[in-house]
Amino acid sequence: MTCSPNPYLPEMATILETVQETHNIKTFRVRLDNPDKMAAFSFQPGQVGQLSVFGVGESTFVINSPPTRMDYLQFSVMRAGEVTASLHALDSGDKIGVRAPLGNHFPYESMKGKDIVFVGGGIGMAPLRTLLLFMLDNRADYGAINLLYGARSPDDMAFKSELPEWLSRKDLDTVLTIDREAPGWEHKVGLIPNVLREMAPKAQNCVAITCGPPIMIKFTLQALKELGFEDEQIVTTLEKRMKCGVGICGRCNIGTKYVCVDGPVFTNAQLKTLPNEL
Amino acid sequence: MEAAKFLSDAALRPWLDELATKHALVVPRREGDAIVFAPYDPAKPLDLSRDATIPPKNPVFPACEELMRYSYAKNPENPAQAGLTLEPLVPMGSTVVFGGRPCGARGFTIFDRVYLTQRIRDPYYGARRESTAYVTLACSDTGNTCFCHWVGSSPSDTTGSDVLLTPVAGGYVAEAVTEKGSDLLKSTHMADAGGREKEALAAKSKALEALEAAPDLGPAPKSLLAVFDDQDFWVDMSAKCISCGACTYLCPTCYCFNITDEVRGLDGSRLRTWDNCMSHQYTMEASGHNPRPTKAHRLKNRVGHKFSYYPDIHGGVIACCGCGRCIKSCPVGVDIREIVLASIERATAKPQE
Amino acid sequence: MQPLDVIKEKIREALPGLDCVIGWQRGFDPLHATPLFMRKPEDVDRLIWGPLNIYNTATYLSGFRGKKVGVVVKGCDSRSVVQLIQEKLVKREDVVIFGLPCAGVVDLTKVGRNVTDLGRVSAVDHSGETLKLTTPEGEKSLAWDDVWADKCLSCQYHNAIISDHFAGEPIAPVLGGRDPAAEEIAALEAMAPADLLAYWAEAMKRCIRCYACRNSCPMCVCRDFCIAQTRDPHWQSQEDSVKEKLMFQMIHATHLAGRCTECGECQRACPVDIPILALRRKANQVIKELFDYQAGVDPQAVPPLFTFKVEEDNINERGW
Repeated sequence: MTCSPNPYLPEMATILETVQETHNIKTFRVRLDNPDKMAAFSFQPGQVGQLSVFGVGESTFVINSPPTRMDYLQFSVMRAGEVTASLHALDSGDKIGVRAPLGNHFPYESMKGKDIVFVGGGIGMAPLRTLLLFMLDNRADYGAINLLYGARSPDDMAFKSELPEWLSRKDLDTVLTIDREAPGWEHKVGLIPNVLREMAPKAQNCVAITCGPPIMIKFTLQALKELGFEDEQIVTTLEKRMKCGVGICGRCNIGTKYVCVDGPVFTNAQLKTLPNEL
Repeated sequence: MEAAKFLSDAALRPWLDELATKHALVVPRREGDAIVFAPYDPAKPLDLSRDATIPPKNPVFPACEELMRYSYAKNPENPAQAGLTLEPLVPMGSTVVFGGRPCGARGFTIFDRVYLTQRIRDPYYGARRESTAYVTLACSDTGNTCFCHWVGSSPSDTTGSDVLLTPVAGGYVAEAVTEKGSDLLKSTHMADAGGREKEALAAKSKALEALEAAPDLGPAPKSLLAVFDDQDFWVDMSAKCISCGACTYLCPTCYCFNITDEVRGLDGSRLRTWDNCMSHQYTMEASGHNPRPTKAHRLKNRVGHKFSYYPDIHGGVIACCGCGRCIKSCPVGVDIREIVLASIERATAKPQE
Repeated sequence: MQPLDVIKEKIREALPGLDCVIGWQRGFDPLHATPLFMRKPEDVDRLIWGPLNIYNTATYLSGFRGKKVGVVVKGCDSRSVVQLIQEKLVKREDVVIFGLPCAGVVDLTKVGRNVTDLGRVSAVDHSGETLKLTTPEGEKSLAWDDVWADKCLSCQYHNAIISDHFAGEPIAPVLGGRDPAAEEIAALEAMAPADLLAYWAEAMKRCIRCYACRNSCPMCVCRDFCIAQTRDPHWQSQEDSVKEKLMFQMIHATHLAGRCTECGECQRACPVDIPILALRRKANQVIKELFDYQAGVDPQAVPPLFTFKVEEDNINERGW
């Protein structure tokens, strides 16, 4: 019993540092307490983890640091409910539980040699960050990389400390947008799908990866279809209420697929085969 | 397997007494107006008159189980920080569940394909499953809500049981289904079957013949997907449902669970408890979005999971044992048989796209 | 025309303006009816009226907010409708009420005590002097007084308290008859506290926390956001313990005090037959003593929670 792994048992981890990204998004950089486990930890971009605040519960977040940068595991948490609120109250030195990696990953192998368009909205930028940094760390494998990141306002932009670097990189084309004019804002103003249409990325030999609030995804998909992207060329990552995270408790299914095991990454082509209960 | 044995009516209690010395024995007993599975008490009567109200699920999949305990200890040098210890609690011990019906034991084979797979093994479920034996009574007749033969089972199905006892004149013909069962039958209270196997066979056939012909549920998986977006149909099917959890908790094949933390000061437990997909909160996301906001959506998922998604994933096996508890114990008489048949009819009647 | 046929006509006439009309139809076997949602004229053919119409059709009303529905009611069901209207959970103008005189309904738990297996009853005749059942053990003939629901034995409201359409001769209440519900409470109150707790602990042991009791209650409109399952505030743990289960019953009975119309659905819906109605009836008794209020019997009355008095008539706060 004790020698076979217990998929429900979290690894103890300590928070190294936190970054208050916005008023409701906080980033946590953690290391597993067991040095052997931390050294042996491996994951693929897009995979997620369940973070435990004991006494409160667990919640699922993408590991939003790439496997090419293993000083720590990063999770960016938007405060929404009980567990996320408890997480937000924690700081460096505090202990949490980590069950990771869970789920599938971005099919980056099949994206090699192609142009990439990232379209992220709000906290949806978190999973995109993982893949973006992974690709930048393996730059030669990919064609042109474009990032469109939108938020309601400048304050709602996460990863603010990294944006200047992304904007200045020659091997990455970054466009930032906010919903409404704001004093001092030097970048685009407009809803993400409209700015995307302006950018007019070429669908030929291109993959679009998008994540954000459901309404943003819906209209972004529309814009991508208009631009000629086929369903296999569009990738997204889904959210669901999760408990076991390993495909047993039965909760996170969309028809026959379990988001914690068969997802959370899906292509639009795969989503189209599933019943409509996103 | 090995030769059948005979357990006389007179030898039943002595055999149970003997089992109780070596295992935690669970038997059907009347409590109030219900028949539940309870720890064997030699002083209390059994009730084998009909299938128990509650299925024999708890010994292997308890309604509440402590997965782990945690403990915060404040750091005396820095009280703002707390050290944390974590202790998993995997169950031990050996249990025999006596007196369920074939449908009740079959349920765990549905669980096994999800909990004990190549990809993942649930150690809590695995420990209980390995250490629990089912001594099942074959059904001599069937009730108005029995439909085990619709879903590939029968009144004398041995799937999931370790011993099958078929009622005959004066007692039971006892057949070992597994090695565990074989061991249980190694008792001085068991006699040679003495030719009674024929009687048992006749009893089994009689029970099966008494059932009306089963409809073909082959079209169910595709039909349920075909009517997925038919909101009117599901509003109709779910109109009388009150979204409680009776059907789910009484179902031998329902395996969904919740994980919650319960606190006692600086210590606490992470509990696994039964959950049910009929409840409003089941898929409620922290953002407030709920993929299944109405009971129509939720009932659709329940029926879809049992008669479409699970069979699609697991080689056609239906995640239902036909025990009928969801029908007879549903406060308003929702009948899953009706819904499955209606989906097939509706899907066939729809114009093909 | 038979009263049921009159009502069926009225329902057919009203259907075009309504989302549906809620009634009863034959269920999965001869002993069981099941709720019927009539949307088309053909659906109305299936409406039945008799001692098997045990379900409270008013349970569904709060789920139809914003829509116009019809509901066929027994007298006790109409009490729930009245209370829902008094609490402004249902608008009077959104409900069309159809009533017939009700002589009583059977309690299937009581019937079950007289047969080996309720699920093996193959035929039922409820038209005669006794309730006749065909079972594998032979014909059973049960005295009606042995199988009427407790609420029916002391029923004062055989006819809908308010209705838009009523057919049939109203039945007058029988006064001074047996009141098994009151007898049950008296027996419980006569128990020593330790015995009483043991009684409830024993009863709640088999509870499976399915919340059928809560969800079948017409007054429990907050069932999707219930205190028993929330974590903020976190009053109840998910432990499978008698303590938590009894706590839920206490919460439920308290939340229903003065609101519960004693339709008995909670106890009837319980899949393991826990006799929980007594708790709610007791809470109602207290409200009756304190505020002289009974839920759902007088459409003009104002529920106590909707009123405020500096000096309550029956609460001696200042020691006068």
